[in-house]
This record gives sequence, C-alpha cells and structure tokens, in this order.
Amino acid sequence: MGTNPDSAAQRSRTLEKLTPYLFISPWILGFLAFTLGPLLFSLVMSFYDWPVVGERTFIGIENYEIMLTQDPLFWDSLWVTIKFGLFFVPFNIILGLLLAVLLNQRVIGSGIFRTIFYLPSVISGVALVTIWAWIYSHEYGILNFLLGLAGIEGPNWLGDPSWSLLAIVVASLWGLGGTMLILLTGLQSIPKELYEAAKISGVPAWARLLFITIPMLSPMLLFTFITSIIAAFQQLTIALLLTGGGPLESTYFFAMYIYDNAFKHFEMGFAAANSWVMFLIILALSLFVMKSSSAWVYYEGEMKNKENADG
Amino acid sequence: MVRALTYGVLIFLSALFIMPFCWTFVTAVKSIPELYQYPPVFWPSALQWENFATAWFKQPFDIYLKNSLIVVVLSTFGQLLSSSLVAFGFARFHFKGRDAIFILLLSTMMIPWDVKMIPLYMEFNMLGWINTLKPLIVPAYFADAFFVFLLRQYIMTVPVEIDEAARMDGANSWQIYWRIHLPLMMPALVLVGTFHFMNAWNDYLGPLIYLNDQSKYTLTLGLSMFKGLHETDITSIAAITVILCIPPLILFFFAQRYIMNGAIGSSVKG
Amino acid sequence: MKNLKKLALASAVAALTIGGTAVAEDVIRFATWNGEENLEIQYEIAKLFEAENPGVKVQVESYADGYDKKLIAAFGAGSPPDVMYMWNYPKYYKSLLPLDDLMARDAEEMNLSDIPAALINTTRIDGKAYGMPAGFTTHVVFYNKDMFAAAGVEEPKEGWTWADLREKAAKFRDKESKTYGIAVSAKPDPFDFEQFLWSNGTRFISQDGKTIDGFMNSPEAVEVLDMFAEMARNEEAVMVGVGENSSSSALFKGGKIAMFQSAMWSKAGIEAAGINYGVAHLPSFGDKPVHSSVPASAMSVAKDGKNLELAWKYVKFFSSPAAVKLRTNDLPIRTSVAEELNMTSDPVFKPFFDILAVSDRETNAFLKHENWGKIQTNLERAIEATMLGKGDAKTNLDDAVARSARHLN
Repeated sequence: MGTNPDSAAQRSRTLEKLTPYLFISPWILGFLAFTLGPLLFSLVMSFYDWPVVGERTFIGIENYEIMLTQDPLFWDSLWVTIKFGLFFVPFNIILGLLLAVLLNQRVIGSGIFRTIFYLPSVISGVALVTIWAWIYSHEYGILNFLLGLAGIEGPNWLGDPSWSLLAIVVASLWGLGGTMLILLTGLQSIPKELYEAAKISGVPAWARLLFITIPMLSPMLLFTFITSIIAAFQQLTIALLLTGGGPLESTYFFAMYIYDNAFKHFEMGFAAANSWVMFLIILALSLFVMKSSSAWVYYEGEMKNKENADG
Repeated sequence: MVRALTYGVLIFLSALFIMPFCWTFVTAVKSIPELYQYPPVFWPSALQWENFATAWFKQPFDIYLKNSLIVVVLSTFGQLLSSSLVAFGFARFHFKGRDAIFILLLSTMMIPWDVKMIPLYMEFNMLGWINTLKPLIVPAYFADAFFVFLLRQYIMTVPVEIDEAARMDGANSWQIYWRIHLPLMMPALVLVGTFHFMNAWNDYLGPLIYLNDQSKYTLTLGLSMFKGLHETDITSIAAITVILCIPPLILFFFAQRYIMNGAIGSSVKG
Repeated sequence: MKNLKKLALASAVAALTIGGTAVAEDVIRFATWNGEENLEIQYEIAKLFEAENPGVKVQVESYADGYDKKLIAAFGAGSPPDVMYMWNYPKYYKSLLPLDDLMARDAEEMNLSDIPAALINTTRIDGKAYGMPAGFTTHVVFYNKDMFAAAGVEEPKEGWTWADLREKAAKFRDKESKTYGIAVSAKPDPFDFEQFLWSNGTRFISQDGKTIDGFMNSPEAVEVLDMFAEMARNEEAVMVGVGENSSSSALFKGGKIAMFQSAMWSKAGIEAAGINYGVAHLPSFGDKPVHSSVPASAMSVAKDGKNLELAWKYVKFFSSPAAVKLRTNDLPIRTSVAEELNMTSDPVFKPFFDILAVSDRETNAFLKHENWGKIQTNLERAIEATMLGKGDAKTNLDDAVARSARHLN
C-alpha cells in the first residue's frame, strides 16, 4: 500500500482537504439531526392553521398577512423589543467591560469579586423573580422603602407604563456577570508587553484603554454585541414572570407575543410565522454587524493568506 | 487615589450584586410570620435552619440531585470537546463554504424555542428518548453555536505564527489542536464549561418537556414544584435555591482563577 | 419447524426485554398540575387505586406551574398522558374522550346524583362532558378576626353587600403601617372575575356565545369595574397584581389587609401563617343574587389512549367517596361526603357550599367561544387600564369590544 509515494501523497492531500470538515463535523451532524428537521417543520407549520389538537389546514401566507397588516400587537411588541434592545445592548456591553477592566487589575480579593458579580447568573429564574418583585413592589418594596428614607416617594415601578420597561432593563442587566466573564477572558489574551511599552512612553490610562484594550478585545466585543442583540430579542422570562407584559403592553416583548400565540392561543402555525419573522430580523441585524465588523474588529490570528491555512 | 476609586466602585457594585443571594438566604431561614412582615425583616429573630432540611425532604431531592449531576457532568464534557473542535475548524482553516456555514451556525442561535419544541419532542419520541435523560445530554456532544462562536473568537486572537512554527516542526492539524490550542484555550474553555454547567444546572424547560416520571426529574423541576397554580411555598423555594447555588459557586470560585491564567500574554507571545 | 419455534421464542424474549415491565403490568400515565403539597394527595389516591387493582401501575406525572406547556408539547407531538387534569376544554376537547355515555352506563355504581350537576357542567363543550370532577372550590372572603376585633369593626354577616364591604374596608386604612381593608387586582384572572359581573346581572359574552357588545361593556359591567378602580383610588383597597400574582395572599398572611377575596386554595397557607381567620360569603351587589365561579379540578381521558376502559376506571376512582375524602385542599364533590364531614354546617366551610347551591346559572365565557382567548386579551387590557387610572371603565370596555370584533366570527 505505502509503496507508491504518489498515491500516499495524494491520500494525505485528500485527508488534508477533509480535515477542516472533520473538525466541524460534530456541529454539522448535530445540525442535521436536531435542528434542520424542526426548522423546516416550523417553516411548513407557518403556512398552516395549526392548532395543537384538531385539523390542520393549509392557508398559504395568511399567517404572515394577518401579522403584518391586522394584528397591532405585532408592531407594538416589536417596538417594545427595539426600545429594550437600545437600552440593554449598550449597557450590557459597557458595564460588562467596565467590570472586566476593573477586575483585570491586581485587586485584593479579585476572585471573590468575580464570584459575586457572577452570582445573580447562578440563581435560578424562579427565585430571581421573587427577589425582584420584593424590590420593585410599589407599597411594600425595598426600593421604595429606601427611597422613602431619603424623602423621595418612589414610583410604581412595575405598575406605571413609563417606568416598567426601565425596571425590566435593570433587572436584566443584573445578569451581566456572563458578559463580564467573556470580556475578562478576552483581556487575558492581550499581551502585557503592549501595556508596559505604552506606559514607558507615557501613554495615559484612558488612551491605553481606547487604543490597546478595545482594539485587542474587539473579537470578544463582536461576540458580546451579537449575542446581546439575540438576547434582547429573546428576552422573555423576566418580563413574563414579573409583569406579564404589562402594564398596558409596555413590557410586551416580541418573544412574549410568540409565546402567547403558541401557549395561550394554541396557534402553532401563527407562532411559527412570528418566529420566522423574528429569526429574519435578528439574522439581518447580525449579518449587518458581522459585515461591518471587518472595519472595527482586529484579529491577531487571522489567516493572512490561503496557502498558510491549507498547509 | 485610582486604587481607592477602584475599590469603592467594586465594593458598591458587589453590594448590589450580592443582595439577591443574601435576601434569598434570609428568606430561607425566616419563620412564616416574619416572611410576610412589613417593613421587611432583614434579620430574623431566630434562624430556622431546619427549613433547609424540611424543604429537601419534602420531595425526593436526592434522586433529583443524582439526575442533575449525570446530566451536567456528561453534557459539559461533550460540550467542551465538541465545541472546541468545531471552533478550531472555523478559526484555523479556509475551506469551501466556510463563511456560509458559519453564518448558518450563528443563525441557529436565533431560532425561538417555542416553535422547535413540538417537532423536537416528536423526534425524541420517535427515538424513544422521552422520559430519559438523553435529550438533555446527547445534543451537547454536537457543539452549541454560542460556545463555538465564543471559542472561535478566542482562537482568532491567538497569533497564527504559533501554528506555523508547530507545522514546521512536523505537527499535523490534530496535534496543533490538541497540544497547542487546547492548553491555550484554557481560559475560554473554563468559561464555556462554567456557562454550560450553569445552563444545564438551571435548565427548566428541557427537563419539563422531556421528562415525565418523578424518578427522572432534575433539581430545577423539583424546585418548580414549590410554585403551585395559586400558592407558592416561598420558604422552600428560597431554601432549595440557596442549596442549588452552593455547588456551582464553589466550583466557579476555583475555576475562575484559570480564566485569569493568561498563558498567551506572558509566555508564548514574548 | 424447529427453527420457527426458536424464532418465536427469541422474539418473545426480545419483546419481554424491550417491553420491560409493560408486559407484566398495565401502566396509566396520569398528569397533574398539583405542586408539592397537593401532590402528596394525588400519590395517595394513586396508591389506593393500585392496591385495589393488582397489576396496574400508575405513573404520576407532576408538572405544577409548567403544566400547560408540558401538555401542549405532549398533545402537539401526539403522545399525551392517558389521564390528566383539565381546564382548557375548548382547546383540547377534540383529543379528549366524551364521558357522557360512560357516566350514563355507570351512573348507579358512581351514584352520580350525589354530585352536583353544576360541577360536571363546567366541563361541557357543545353539551358533551369531557371531564369528571374530582374536587372543586367556590369563592369566599377570608377575614382576619384579630384585625376586626382590634379595629372594633363588626365581622361580615350573611347577606352583606359590596357597600358593606367597602365601608368596613375603609376603617382599616392606616398610612403609617401601610394597612388596608382588602386588596384588588389590576390583573385579575377573567375566569374568576366574571363572577362579579354575574352577581351584578350581566356576563362577558351572551349565553349563546355570539355577542359581547352590550355584555362585556354593559352598564352593569362598567359599574363593577369602576367600583374596583374606585376602591383602589379611595384607598379602601391596595392594588396588587402588578408585579407578583400571589401578593394579596402574602399581604393577608402578613396582616396588612383585613379581608382577602379568594378560594379554597388559599386556606392551608393562611392557617400555616397562623392567622386567626373567619370565612364570609361573597358579598352581593345590592339585592341581586350572588353567583360564584366554580373552579373544578376535573379529569379527562385522552381519546387515543391504549386502554380507555382502565383510564376511565381510574377517573371514576378519583370521584369515589374514598378518594374524595383524601382531598383536603379542595372541597368534596360528593354532597354525602360533605355532609358526613359536617362541612355544610361548619362555619369555615358553610359559605363555600351555600354559594355552590346558587351558582349553577352561568357558564364561563371561555366555554362559549373558540376565540375567547384572544377576546380575553383585550378584556384584560381594559381591566388593567381602568385599574391603573388610564381612562374610565366605559371607554376601556368599549375599546375592548371594538378590538375584539374581528375575533368574534
């Protein structure tokens, strides 16, 4: 077998060609087994009147039509979600970055601080909501109790449409420990020498942050940017348990709209159509961010040319 | 001055972040009359330590714990292995269709679970996996997009010269992955392990949908049993929540130092 | 021939190993929404059934708060449990077994006349019963006897009205200690809220399920909603339901409200909190007859189940006197059991049974129209807006009726 050097070389070349696919094969197989089927299934569903039980009827694009032209809740919930995202995404990243930079310094007890900031992410949803209800309650809440000590009469956080969305944003930001950790991990891969050199040449701290940290961290920032957008669009649990979408739909997120259509109204076809629209919106946003990323993301380890990669 | 400010900010923020845990703990050890008092009782007159045992033995939590551990340990292992392989594939090779496949991978993060639920249930039902722990474990061996993306971004920050040097020395791609990148990825792998561990540990929907029999239940399902349709057993929820927080917290406290173990910055690059 | 025998033997062995215990026993999958405390009772009854039916194994599946989601997944994928608690008949009835014929067949054995018809009627769609009640509750007002004594307020009497309740409630208001007379919800469950409309002589939707205009927004409905909003405005009541659902129960247990409008499901918790409580009838609107909603825990059988006869046997067992007696967290559906336990004269239980006797005129809105869920979304919005002081009841309910027009057909 191994006597013919040509065929051996050819075999190893084929193997080389196959190698990348072998590396990504776990995901490909998983996609084919657990994602593609359900995905296509839901696409088919979206063209049907599909109750959970009972007959299913093909209705063409009617679900999409109703959603876009007749159901005010679609636009309302989309708008609420966008407003939420405009607050949540930047704050999640900026505060996460702030914490990560602070904790990246030599701080006594930094391990304990890191653990504390991650703590809210460890507590399961059922208990988190009880805690927030206790904080936000108008008459009996701890937040208004503390404000009262300072002589301020606190608003009805969850009962007043002008405060409720903000209250949900703050509650959601409590879980930014995850973002902090991701950015903290990214900070580890920045060579310390860069900072030392800059320090010696007298570059001030803010400039080091702006011109070294942020560019070097940009791959991780891209990651948190995209995943924060996705998280904003899929935001459901906190609002569902804390406000149920109210008051007056001020916290009625797009994900809740889908949830209600599926689980309250049993309209699986309509919910599938909702989901596909949401999917396309997030995809478009993410692609836009990805495309723009070549302008602001710096990859230390990017392949400079094709030859390098294929060996 | 800067130091003092740093500590000031850190201490202030950590007070905000530790509050939920403290409150949950205080709630767990309160007596029922104190539970509902206002102004709230910040420190109960007598700590009801027995609330922890009472809540634990109200349901077969020993069995739930065993099931949760099986799921968490097996799936975390699978996730680390599969997502690091896939991430390496995307980060270090040019191949036909790579970018398109990567977008496809990213897009799987964006599918709302509401619509996947029924088809997936049907699939697992056909496989005979309903009421087993398999639906909670097996998919983790096929790499989750979130983690692949995370690890891929991390690998992309590692200079290519490292790979090239190894290739010069005759290493093939598998060896580069196994001997060079896995150790370099350590901080990110710890992160993935932590995130996946927490997701699996706190997962409620998956176990709810795929498990039927109480002997198969996981800890979060047990926890949710304290929340009835009309009334909630707040003390037991708080007590079990505190118990459920402890193992991940201890684990995290020891794991996080590896996140800080910036291997590239100091040794390799220099 | 010999080979064939071998093959048969092999496949029999294979069937045994694959089938596991299923070959030896009949398994009933029984899904319940009960959380931990009531769950014990479900297990007890299931064990009793197993003891009486050797070779049958009951697999109790409890999903508590996640019950509805689980059921959707299971029904949607075509593998529902054999027997389950049910409330959402309009959405599921096509997959449920109609029980009338079975009830008629076994009427004598079941002693059906011992069970109030009003209870079985809560499970009817198009005249067919899809559920067999196992327990129920009606609505009452719990009140804190110690708070009444301390404030020198006379305890509620039979035949009291909402005007009486409001007058009493106002006396408990204390700004300093944040005490109120009662709680009203900004987001009440319309299923229960409709009882106030019934008691004021109207309903959400016409009896034939075709019209909401002139019902949901009738002067009587407006009066009810305006009254609750006014109670909150005048601080006779604290407003809850923005934030946490169970909060009025917590306030009553904490001694912050003197009265608490609720049902059987709150009783055990109130006792555990050590409140010295009394139970009063639901108040009336003037001299109009009071009518309570009757949430029943009824059990249904999945139509495509493997062993329908066994499933029905299990359902029947849950309504048997032995099982009914074990249910201490709701009320016995059997008059004979209620009487045997002296519940109909016990002052704590009497108000529940008194109102059951007069609560058989009405049918819940969701049983009357298949799109009720969507109409209800608009109704909930109108109630919430009124309670939060965004517009009056008339405007908001008219708006809800207008918004619902497209769902009516």
